[in-house]
Amino acid sequence: MSVDFLIETKNLCKHYNKGVIKALDDVSAGIQKGEVVVIIGPSGSGKSTFLRSLNLLEMPTSGSIVFEGHEITDPKVNINIHRQKMGMVFQQFNLFPHMTVLGNMTLAPMKLLKMSKEDAEKKALALLERVGLAGRASAYPSQLSGGQKQRVAIVRALCMNPDVMLFDEPTSALDPEMVGEVLDVMKNLAKEGMTMAVVTHEMGFAREVADRVIFMADGKIEEEGTPEEIFTNPRNPRTQQFLQSIL
Amino acid sequence: MTFKERFFLNFIKDSRWHYLTDGLLVTLEVTFFAVLLGILIGVIVAAVRSTHDKLIGNTKSKLSKFMLKFFNSIANVYLTVIRGTPVTVQLMIAYYIIFVTSNNKILVAVLAFGINSGAYVAEIVRSGIMSIDEGQFEAGRSLGFNYVQTMFYIVLPQAFKNVLPALANEFIVLLKETSVSGYVALQDLTRGGDIIRGRTYDAFFPLLAVAGIYLVMVMGFTKLVSLLERRLRKSER
Repeated sequence: MSVDFLIETKNLCKHYNKGVIKALDDVSAGIQKGEVVVIIGPSGSGKSTFLRSLNLLEMPTSGSIVFEGHEITDPKVNINIHRQKMGMVFQQFNLFPHMTVLGNMTLAPMKLLKMSKEDAEKKALALLERVGLAGRASAYPSQLSGGQKQRVAIVRALCMNPDVMLFDEPTSALDPEMVGEVLDVMKNLAKEGMTMAVVTHEMGFAREVADRVIFMADGKIEEEGTPEEIFTNPRNPRTQQFLQSIL
Repeated sequence: MTFKERFFLNFIKDSRWHYLTDGLLVTLEVTFFAVLLGILIGVIVAAVRSTHDKLIGNTKSKLSKFMLKFFNSIANVYLTVIRGTPVTVQLMIAYYIIFVTSNNKILVAVLAFGINSGAYVAEIVRSGIMSIDEGQFEAGRSLGFNYVQTMFYIVLPQAFKNVLPALANEFIVLLKETSVSGYVALQDLTRGGDIIRGRTYDAFFPLLAVAGIYLVMVMGFTKLVSLLERRLRKSER
């Protein structure tokens, strides 16, 4: 019998130059509710493209994506409604530089969920408190460190009460000493039961937090399994080769 | 004639200073409404052009693709024609050909200068939109904002800050460009000074007075813009 997935892709393809370049080549995968899936692979393997196609920031060439029972790849579906339920965190943070931290966090809840200013700010401040940034609510992004920016980006997405969080290499643009503070926030989020899909090079994080690890190469899923299976006993030669080169 | 007598002859006698003040009012009126019209046209054309560039690759429906291309080519024709011909010629075409039945010279001038300025404003605004990192756009869309909301709340406020100096420049140019209004017998500031010169056969006083008035207006406007810029910069260290 089939598993009940929160988000599922079927035969997802993303082609460039009329199929000469296959960034995604027939990718079928699913994420269950409450699951933390970490996607690893060499650069150019299509792992970011795969993650970004889950909320249609990349439009797949063919295949389908079903999110909470809705086929969001159907052109008739209003993707904006579903994106509200999928938080996304980017490598480059992408905070809005013309707004304060609080402004960044309350904009979408106020405009899209029609929350009152008081409620949105109350929620934002509570979330900032949880990631240790309660004092920076009125700061502008340019006044924050990289690690602080990424923590704000995470709680900005959380303000929309998402059902799944997508992380696109969230620590790759950070100075090494700031990686830990961001990973800690993500670990706590995982512990609280958030469904997460994470593209990362942090193998320690994958080993510790992931319920399932997906290894991608050349736009295909080459191997998937529990962290133990992937890291201690990889079967696919490509996986073995990749893990050897980075560990 | 002494300096004092020449001043009296050019400005005081027969209340000739009225030519300057009346002309100044016309210049301000034409410039003000032309700026508004220019912004309106410019923002619409910039929106059409950048929407086309951003969405054409991601659109699957044939109808939306056709609409994007259709409006984009209209915008391109407008930009080519307006930027490819002199504003003086455009003003005369508007007055002597298109609106030949109209007696309202000010309205014709507002339309001609506004339509002209719109083309330049459009490219300024578009350059501002393009200067904003694609990640800002993606962040907005990933939160669930639609294309228009993302533009309105996230991209345009940042773009506006980036293009403010170029926009101010365009409005200074527009203010001074209205000095060709005399070609359609509209009595603006420049024409007012020229009428005085015709009456008194003295070029020095009326022309320098006209130049001085333009200079003061531009300086005042520049000051206002720099105050606005400083306010908008407060989110930067």
